[in-house]
Amino acid sequence: MNFTDARQVPSGTKLMPELVIIGGGPAGISLALALARTKIKVLLLESGGMQFDAATQALYAGQETGVKYYALDATRMRYLGGCTNHWGGWCRPLDEDDFAQRDWLRHSGWPFDRSELDPYFPRAQELIEAGPLLYDKLAKETLPGGDLLKLGPGGIYNSFFQFSVWRGNPDHLPTHFGERYADDLKRVPNLQVMLNANVTALRLGQDPRWVDHLDVATLDGKRFTVAPRHVVLAAGAIETARLLLASNDVATNGVGNENDLVGRYYADHAIPRDTATLVVFGGEIAASYKTTLDMKGAHFRATLSPTQQFKKDRHVLGSLVTVEQRVALDELGAAAVTTTSAALGVDGSNAHAYSLGCGIELAPDPDRRLTLTSERDALGMPRLKLNVTISDQDFANYREALVELGRQMLAAKTGMIRLDRQSRSEWLSVMDWGNHHMGTTRMNDDPKQGVVDGNCQVHGLANLFVAGSACFPTYGSSNPTLNLIALTLRLADHLKGVFR
Amino acid sequence: MRTPDRRVVIGGIVAFAAAAAAIGYESRRLFGRHYPPTPYDDLFALLPDREAARKVGAAFLKEHSNFTSKTAAAALRRRIGKQKLDAALQAEIADGALTEAGRWLMPQTLAGLCALAAKAG
Repeated sequence: MNFTDARQVPSGTKLMPELVIIGGGPAGISLALALARTKIKVLLLESGGMQFDAATQALYAGQETGVKYYALDATRMRYLGGCTNHWGGWCRPLDEDDFAQRDWLRHSGWPFDRSELDPYFPRAQELIEAGPLLYDKLAKETLPGGDLLKLGPGGIYNSFFQFSVWRGNPDHLPTHFGERYADDLKRVPNLQVMLNANVTALRLGQDPRWVDHLDVATLDGKRFTVAPRHVVLAAGAIETARLLLASNDVATNGVGNENDLVGRYYADHAIPRDTATLVVFGGEIAASYKTTLDMKGAHFRATLSPTQQFKKDRHVLGSLVTVEQRVALDELGAAAVTTTSAALGVDGSNAHAYSLGCGIELAPDPDRRLTLTSERDALGMPRLKLNVTISDQDFANYREALVELGRQMLAAKTGMIRLDRQSRSEWLSVMDWGNHHMGTTRMNDDPKQGVVDGNCQVHGLANLFVAGSACFPTYGSSNPTLNLIALTLRLADHLKGVFR
Repeated sequence: MRTPDRRVVIGGIVAFAAAAAAIGYESRRLFGRHYPPTPYDDLFALLPDREAARKVGAAFLKEHSNFTSKTAAAALRRRIGKQKLDAALQAEIADGALTEAGRWLMPQTLAGLCALAAKAG
């Protein structure tokens, strides 16, 4: 039995595995499984247990300032499986251009292009149980639920998300990594999973380029240390930054924070509601926009996205348009549809209208950041404050994509749109967020511009790595889980080389 | 009791239908919306539903207070030329020459026609 409970470990114990993974979310679990066939002795430390526990979850509490955001203890889940315990299962690989350095976008550019991740997507796709890698290839299929929206030539195209479906789960939920992979983890011979184990500090050695040991605490008062050869932080973009910042006894700015970058560039996908009204002149829109459907083993949904060329030409970031529920047209809306459809020579008498939702990629912003506060949690760790920003340009970028969509619908004579949000206050009044935490230990080969290098190794630290979307320097409009798992699998291959 | 003659019944139905149609036509003529002649009737003839266009135009005018009918009409005639309205609009759509009327995105020429209709009353 390789699942143990930290509360059973006597205080003062010193454990010495070869590799410690801090955090049992999708990154930590994927990494542990990827190292299963190696001889590396791995200890995975998970703060929570197998189920939600209010006292453990309360360790996440913090403050939020700036644009309204979720409470820090509501936007995450602190037990085995991490954020997959409350995710929606949306999956899509990042676009190639998401990795590019763009002259018009400050702080853009990954240290590598997407071809570095491509070999890892098939396995990542298996782990999230989203069926075969089809995505935009679905556009060439005869889809159930009617034909896709016809668009005139331009910068918006029909794109596709696939969904994680927990195989064998009667409720068809997205895969909850903790419960789904607990048995697989138990079968890994060189792995120990320790639950209820909270890492409270990374302690540097006499040589400050090395993490010497970790302080571990339990909520019932046990304190012990773990001294591994290598450490991987896989605690999510918020908690990973917190642990680095709070480990400030030797490096006074925190571990890996020589250049004041840890915790900065925090990102999430903005998902304001009811951003526009889309009218289809000919009647009902295809079912694949409104709900998830099945095709060739994939559970999918159609969306609308800007092409890479459009993003490049217009200097806009990624976004996606989702069709939400049917809405009634008011008198002006009915008049606009009657007038426009007739002027274009098409029948609009059976037009259907829908509200649109979205996902918006934000531009990297160093002021959207996490900092420590003077408040402490039950284990004595400083709590966090998150400052959330969103610029008018972020909204304007998305609005530009909506205008292009409307233009292409008029060109195809298939419909038209109403742009429901214009002023900043209008956008903020319908703001919501994706719970997609990214960017706080951004990746860049230059230590002055990134916390980790292209191998996800913390600059200046010989044995410390970060796994997960904390490393994303830019964010794309795709949900992060599939992509962070692909990045983690790449890290696993790198670590195999490190231990060889 | 005698059964009515078939020809009489059919004749009655035809006469009734004709009377109903005449009444309907006259009511529309007498009670339907009448627009007084304007210098822009050639442009309004392009609008299949002038009443709906007036509503759209009113929304457009709320955000374009400097709209003047004479100038706009001249510009619209120039833009449309001898083309069919649909063709003129498609050229604008391809060029991205769009505007908003009450936040509905539409070709500038169509919004202009609507605004002209709203101004004309």
